[in-house]
Parts: sequence; structure tokens; C-alpha cells
Amino acid sequence: MSTSRAALLALSLTALLAPPPARGAASEWAENEQSRVRLVTEYATAPRNGPIRLGLHFTLSPGWHVYWKNSGDAGFPPVITFSSTGGALQKAELFWPAPRRFELPGGLVAFGYEGEAVYPIQAKLQVPEGAGAVETVTSDLERAGGGESVEITAEVDYLVCEVDCIPYRYTLALTQPVGEEAVADPETSRLLDSWWARLPKPAGEIPGVQTGALVHAGNPEKLELEVRVRGARAKKGETDLFLETHEALETGKPQVRVTADEVVFRVPLRAKQAGKELPAKTVFAWTVTGLSREGELVSLEARREVEVSRKPGGGEPSAGAAPAGETGAAYRARLFRLLLLALLGGLLLNLMPTVLPLLLGELVVLRGDPGGRPAVREGAAAVATGILGSCMAMAALAEAARRAGLPAGWGAQLQEPLLAALILVAAVVLTLNLWGLLDTPLPSTDPADPAERRGSVRHLLAGLFTTPLALGWTLPLLREPVGFAVEKGPAVTLTVLAALGLGLSLPYLVLLLAPAVVRVLPAPGRWSRVLREGMGFLAGASTFWLLYALSHHVSPEGIAWVELALLVMALLAWLRHRTVPRNAVRFGLAVALVACAAAALWLADDNRLTPRTSRTADNQRNILTGG
Amino acid sequence: MRKWISATCVLAALALAAAPALAAGTVGETAPAFQLKGIDGKTYSLADYKGKVVVLEWVNPNCPFSDRHAREKTMSDLARKHGEIVWLGINSTNASHANYLQPAEHQAWAKKNGVSYAILYDETGKVGKAYDAKTTPHMFIIDKDGKIAYNGAIDDDPPGRKAKAERANYVAQGLGAEKAGKNPDPAATKPYGCSIKY
Repeated sequence: MSTSRAALLALSLTALLAPPPARGAASEWAENEQSRVRLVTEYATAPRNGPIRLGLHFTLSPGWHVYWKNSGDAGFPPVITFSSTGGALQKAELFWPAPRRFELPGGLVAFGYEGEAVYPIQAKLQVPEGAGAVETVTSDLERAGGGESVEITAEVDYLVCEVDCIPYRYTLALTQPVGEEAVADPETSRLLDSWWARLPKPAGEIPGVQTGALVHAGNPEKLELEVRVRGARAKKGETDLFLETHEALETGKPQVRVTADEVVFRVPLRAKQAGKELPAKTVFAWTVTGLSREGELVSLEARREVEVSRKPGGGEPSAGAAPAGETGAAYRARLFRLLLLALLGGLLLNLMPTVLPLLLGELVVLRGDPGGRPAVREGAAAVATGILGSCMAMAALAEAARRAGLPAGWGAQLQEPLLAALILVAAVVLTLNLWGLLDTPLPSTDPADPAERRGSVRHLLAGLFTTPLALGWTLPLLREPVGFAVEKGPAVTLTVLAALGLGLSLPYLVLLLAPAVVRVLPAPGRWSRVLREGMGFLAGASTFWLLYALSHHVSPEGIAWVELALLVMALLAWLRHRTVPRNAVRFGLAVALVACAAAALWLADDNRLTPRTSRTADNQRNILTGG
Repeated sequence: MRKWISATCVLAALALAAAPALAAGTVGETAPAFQLKGIDGKTYSLADYKGKVVVLEWVNPNCPFSDRHAREKTMSDLARKHGEIVWLGINSTNASHANYLQPAEHQAWAKKNGVSYAILYDETGKVGKAYDAKTTPHMFIIDKDGKIAYNGAIDDDPPGRKAKAERANYVAQGLGAEKAGKNPDPAATKPYGCSIKY
């Protein structure tokens, strides 16, 4: 007897008053203000050798509860150890009836039982033949009660809680008569039957009912466990999910969605240790209560190795479909439709205010190329290559963003201040270029400049620039294909963005096949210069849209600073254009201009409203209320 | 529609701004800073102990588990044994809860049980929530770099069945590991005890 033990005994005074062994199927009640507890067996006379059912029987004062195997945020489940004299009680195993949830102040939660609870216990009894073999204790009892018997002693520690918690320890003892013929005790066996019926059934043993789980780890900031039960009816508010303690993950409050024959729980998870990689599979044990099947109330339990999915499937699952639900044919049909959409979307992007000037500019340059058809072919091929190449780069970027847990998808580019600012700066550079204030490697429609006319490199660069400029336009048409692509992984992302690139470069591909088409344009001249300057206004106007998009993610001060930086960029470009060609000055101004562009990016990033690892408010709320 | 979008963004930003104060206590992350008044009336700030190993113990004298460990001197012996570290008790009991103790009562309890380390009031529960502290006792070890190195129970014996020497004291193990320049193992366990009376 250690000091700690003595201390605890002193703490719960009643524990010292261990009730004397009672003869029959139940021990005396051990009572305190909050609860009483006794040990019961199913037999008035137990068989000498064989299985025996017992129970730890609690009744609780209103408001007080005892715990399930996972007690929740606080508390601990009952601990029981058996000893016996006059025979051996072996392999005692305690079972856990379907629990309920108790909400505590501060968002804490407990799992357990209130009112009345019996923890069923399965054990094996072995009493040696013949009274001569048993100890004196038994002989005493025999004298007292007649017949053979075994004394069963249970040392029980349990915690009973309301909001306050009180631990108790009792020694519960009963003298179980044994004989050749077993006689059930009507009261206790009925009690044990009813609580045995409340044990969750192993999932595989309920015909027609299936359960499964998946950990969504695509977004490390939004880890989630999805548990499904199919083939049973349930009502929201009645069905609940209980998880056993996981060694590496904290589990939050489950959210439940009920359909005709399926229940879906989504449980926010949080790593207990930062920076620890989750394995490909991890064991979860779950109990689902409050299901009904053929009019009968059932609970099920399962313990499985659960797959950890890295795919970003963190959103709402589609109704009725399993996580990997789409079958081959339906999947192919969907993919084909989405590829067509991506192609069409890409083609439409050519009409966007920052892309159209590039397209027209390229057409005019190609029209004016004195090299004839081969030159047109070569130029068009270069632009198309540039576009497709940059689309591939975008696919890689989207995949990288997804892996880093950043939002990825069509429209995500404008949610990231740094990227949105980059697109904005590109639009400003294009505008200045179209107005003739800058000579960036973007195409010029001025055929008088011999440098403009030749060089596939210029065309290639124009193609490479096309994609980032197109990114500023969040065509709703493209949302589904790109979202689907990112969800399905790198291969599909590459395919869908290739389709988008094909659509975007379609005008050039037409020229590649039929260079003569370019002749429908009149020869470049004054009209093309006017067109170019006019297009500058179109591109300039698009900066308004981009600034507006940026304003959702950058503070008002940040927006003002970015605008100032852009204005200074224009001023520097104008100064550079106006200065007599003195190389040193021009170079200095060019450096200042690049610095200014960089400053605009930095200002956008520095004044961002949301941290880079963007989490949704919804996800936060879940993790917090759970526990 | 556009107003809608911007409103959503602002809300998301607000939720994110509020988030760090709520979801934490994760091993490996920076321990949330705090400044709290002790039962002795002095102000304690985590920042004062930069470069030292700090143990945080969520405590509530009216909780039988805190009280048992105080009487058994589980915490005070361990704090005394590791003179190089800082041990702070934090009581996050809501001032309106029956378990709340006035400074004089709290000091009397500490004196009676030989608790000589500082105990701090967190009656708003803000610090408790920042660490996601759930029970009394709920233990944290903060390493010299200010990162949470251990989060969980004091030992492996919730009912207090075993002799003190037979229990696996996770905080003692963790402090030993910190001294040897290693990471505590286990670094996270399930805390037991009374729920904190937030």
C-alpha cells in the first residue's frame, strides 16, 4: 500500500467502507452522493467450468456521468481488477455499451453514460472439483450458505463527473454459488441481456450494413476523417460518431450528413505533433450509434487501417458517391466533356482585354513579315509553342500549390496577392508597351522596326507572355475543368491545361496549317498603329479589374501603395521614352522601373489580408468547437 | 454579389486573425506568449523565461486530481529536482465557478501542500484556450527555443493506483530528455483529470 493509494482512499472516505461479500448474483451496492455501483453475475448458481457474464452496474444521480473507453477531453473510464478465492475467474474482459456525448463548458466534451449503466464483462470461471480442494475461506462460506461457491472480488476505480469530477475506489465482493447445474438469476440475467444488447456490433456482423473511412490529407491545414455508414437509416441529432483515442491525431466534433440510406460523418483532425508526416495508412476505431435497421436500433463498431488520401478532396463529398465513386465510363465521359470545356475556355481567353492586343499584334506582325508563308508558319509555331509551354508551367505551379496546401484551382491565382500583383504588373507593362512607351519583348505592331519583324524568339516570348496575361480573367467556364484537374492529380492537371493551351493557341495553329489566312488582313500601315494605341486603352482598362480583384486580398493602404508604384512605373517609362538615347540614363531608368515593379509585388504581398496558408473560416470553427 | 464576396473575404480574414489564439498546444509549435497575475499578486510573463525550459501545469485545487498530486508532491518534488527549469501553475477556473479560489485561499492551499512554484490566474480562460488545455492537471513542457516539446498527462496512472515510483512520469521523462538535448518521447499523451472549469 503506497502513500498515493492511501491518499486516494482517504480522499474518498466511503471507499474504506468496502461492503461485505454478498451471497448470490450481486454484490452489495457501494454508495456515494453522486452514484452507486455493484458487481453482478448472471447466475444464481454458476456452472463449475465455463463462461460467465458479469456486469459493473452503476446508477447515477441526475447530471452525473461515468465514462466510455475514450473519456473525451477529461476524465477516465472505470478500471477494474478481479481476484477470486475458491476458484479462478479468468480472462475477464470489459465491454463498452454505446455511449452518448456530454458538452462541457469551454467547448470540452465527454463521452459516457448517465442515469444507469452496466459495463458488461465476459469471463471464464473454473472451480476445482470437490470441496476438499478449496481453501478454508470457501469452507467457511459453505458452512454459512451451504454448497460450493467462489468468492469474486473486484477492485474498481472510477471517476464520476458532472462539471466537477470525483474519483472513487471500491472493493466489490460477491460469493458466487457454483454447481453442476447452472441456474440463471432472473433479475440480473435480464439486466445483463439488456445491456449486452446495447453493445455496438462489429460492422461485419450486421447484414446489409457497410462502413468505411478515409483521411483527407490533401490540404494539411484541413485534415479530416470521413466515416460512412451505408445500409442503415439514421436521423440527424440521433446518430453520433465516437472515436477511440488516436495516438497522433486530435479529433474534433463530427459533422453529420444523413441521406436515405447513408450517414456521412466528417471529423476535423489535428496533428498532435507539428511537422510529423502522416503514414499512408493509420488505424482508427469508431463507433456509430443511433442507427436503425429494420425498425431496430443498432450501433456498430469498426477498427480499420484507414487510408490517408493526399488528394484534395476536402470539400463536401458528392451525395451518395463513395470517395472514389466514379466508374470508368462515366469518368471518361466527364473528362472528355471537361477537356472540351477547357479548349473552348482557352479559345475564349483570346478575346480578353489583355490577350486580344497580343493576338492582334502578332497577327499584324506576321502579316507584315516579308518572309512569306514559311515565315508566318515559323512565327505562328513559335507563339503556339510559347503558349503551350507556359501552360505546362502553370500546370506544374498548380500542382506545387496543391502540394503546399495553398488554394489551387481556376480563380486561385487572383486570391494570392503576389500572383495577382504579378498579373497586374504584366498588364501595365503591356499597356505601356502598346502605347509605345516601352520596348519589352512583347510584340510591336510597328513593322517599320526591322527588329520586330524577325526572330522566332520574340514570337516565342509573346506566346510565353500570353498565358500569364490570360490568367487575369477568371472565366467561369474554366472553373469546373481546372477544379476537376487539380482534384484528380498531376496527370489530369497537365491534360486539362494542355487542352486550355490548345484553345488559347488555336488561332496560331490555324495559321500554322493555313498561313494564307493571314492575308485577309490588310497590309500593316497607319491603321495598325492606331489599333495598337487603342488596344493600349483596352489593356489599361483591364488593370482596373485586376486592381479590384487584388483589393479583396490586400488592405486599402496596400492597394493605394500598389497604385502609386504602378503610376511611378508609367512615369519612369515615359521619362525613359522622352530622354535622348543616352544609354547610361536609359539603363538607370530601366533598372528603376524593374525595381518599381518588384516594389508593387512586395507591397501587395506585405499588405495581404490573409496569411499565405489560406484556411477557410468554416474549417477553423470545426476544429475549435471539437476536442 | 461583389459586396458579398468582399464581406466573405473580410470574415475569413477575421476568423484567421482570431484563430491562433484558439487552436494551439501542438507539439513543435511556438508556445503562445502570456502575461498573467500570480496568486502572490506579481505579474508573470512567459517572455521573462526565454532560454529556459518551462513547465506549465494546469491546476485547480478543488479538482481531486490536482489536489492528489499536490498532496503526493508529484509536481513540487519534480520542480525541486530540476532546479534549472521554471515551473508555473496556471489556474484557468472561471471566476464565477464554485471552484474559483481567492488569492488568500489559493495561497493557503499551496502552503499546506508545500507548493512553492508560482501559480497564475487565467480566469478569462484565454491562455488555457491558447494552449488548448483540457484537464487539471494538463502538462506542457516548453523547450529553450520557446517551442512546445510535450503536451499531455503528468503520468500513466489516472486513478493513482500505482506507487509513485512505479508510475511512468511523462514530465520527468521529458525534462530528462530536454536536459540531454533530446526530444521528449512520448511528446504527446492524453491528459486526464477534471475538465477545466472555463
